[in-house]
Amino acid sequence: MFFLRKYRTIIFIAALLVVALSMIFYNLKYGTDNSFLRKIVLEAVAPVQKVLSYSIAGVKDNWSHYIFLVGTMEENKNLKKEIEDLKADLILYHESYQEAQRLRKLLALSDDYKYHFISARVIGREQAALSRVILINKGSSDGLKTGMPVVAPPGLIGRLVDVSWHVSRVLLFIDENSNIDAIVQRNRTQGIISGAGSSGMIFKYISKTQDVKEGDVIISAGMGGVFPKGMLIGQVTHVDKQDASLFLKINVAPFTDFSKLEEILILSSDETKI
Amino acid sequence: MLYYLSLPFLSILLIALQSTVADVLFSGRLVFELSLIVIIYAGFHLDIVRGAILAFVLGFVLDCFGGSVPGLFTFIYVVIFLCSFFISDWLDTEKMYIIAIFSFLCAFLKEIILILFYSLAFKIDLFMSTHFIVFVQALLIGLFAPPFFYLMNRAEVFFYGKKV
Repeated sequence: MFFLRKYRTIIFIAALLVVALSMIFYNLKYGTDNSFLRKIVLEAVAPVQKVLSYSIAGVKDNWSHYIFLVGTMEENKNLKKEIEDLKADLILYHESYQEAQRLRKLLALSDDYKYHFISARVIGREQAALSRVILINKGSSDGLKTGMPVVAPPGLIGRLVDVSWHVSRVLLFIDENSNIDAIVQRNRTQGIISGAGSSGMIFKYISKTQDVKEGDVIISAGMGGVFPKGMLIGQVTHVDKQDASLFLKINVAPFTDFSKLEEILILSSDETKI
Repeated sequence: MLYYLSLPFLSILLIALQSTVADVLFSGRLVFELSLIVIIYAGFHLDIVRGAILAFVLGFVLDCFGGSVPGLFTFIYVVIFLCSFFISDWLDTEKMYIIAIFSFLCAFLKEIILILFYSLAFKIDLFMSTHFIVFVQALLIGLFAPPFFYLMNRAEVFFYGKKV
């Protein structure tokens, strides 16, 4: 008893460190912790984050709508011209889409998974330098489940990793822990897209004999049943044939600017695999 | 008792605030870890039990909010608090340049522990891709720590009439 009283501060500090280490080892062994306590913290952070985000968004909007209007007329003129060009393109694409639908019916192809969209608002971004996570304002009460794919037009951006009752965390593709099957749209070369933090993504395990060029579009391969096939992921920005490696070093830039995400869509399916 | 009761709420507020500030100032490209400066301040000014609990709670909230491995920030924050606490006996913690250098080193130490952890646990080598960001973030902490300490000292004088 005397020993405990004498060294109680040291024992207390050691206990704190042991608890923290146990949490790390538990999570490394059994995967991401989705404990009750963690859900409570997420639920508590969400409203504070929401209030702060909305206040700052309000100030930003006022700035961009009323003060920062220099060059708007010229921009408007250019945008109108761009709309005309895009309309012409759209008509062409619509025709191709109709044709594809007819052919799909002819071939009796259908998607393996039937998805519907759940929209959500980004209410916070992660603070850890080495992970890329966002916080959204929907949770299990809205039908979300861990593992569901997340989309921000024009393409996929990540998947749900933690789902609380009214808040969820989305692991973005640029996170170093993220790996998904992907293919090159042009020639169907298959590889793995891994997150590379602020550098975007890396397309891995493509042998030097494969033909991958800058500008190639990378889409999801649809394997494993988590992500639907054929959704946009990013575009090849740099291909490096390293001398010492068997594989190409391919940098991929996401289509979405992750720093400007505000609204996202979650692809919900009863068949989503967790 | 009020200190321990208010700690979780203040931690949540701090983490939410620092995340929003970083988002506005750096568009998510850089992290402004005000919580780390708070931990170093606690190491210099609080007793070991209060400070360790503050570090534990702040780390845990940060883990819940943004960490990819729960427990990692909790552990790192407690370690950084202990470093600050024990080193404060040997350093003149009133001098601004010492605060700046020590905060820079702590931020650097934190990032190095993270990089080592990712390298050992997941076999991911982050050093080459993040060394510049790590340096800039540590520099940011080093620059912001002295004004934060100054403001906190002023606040202590304002509320208590003298430094605690």
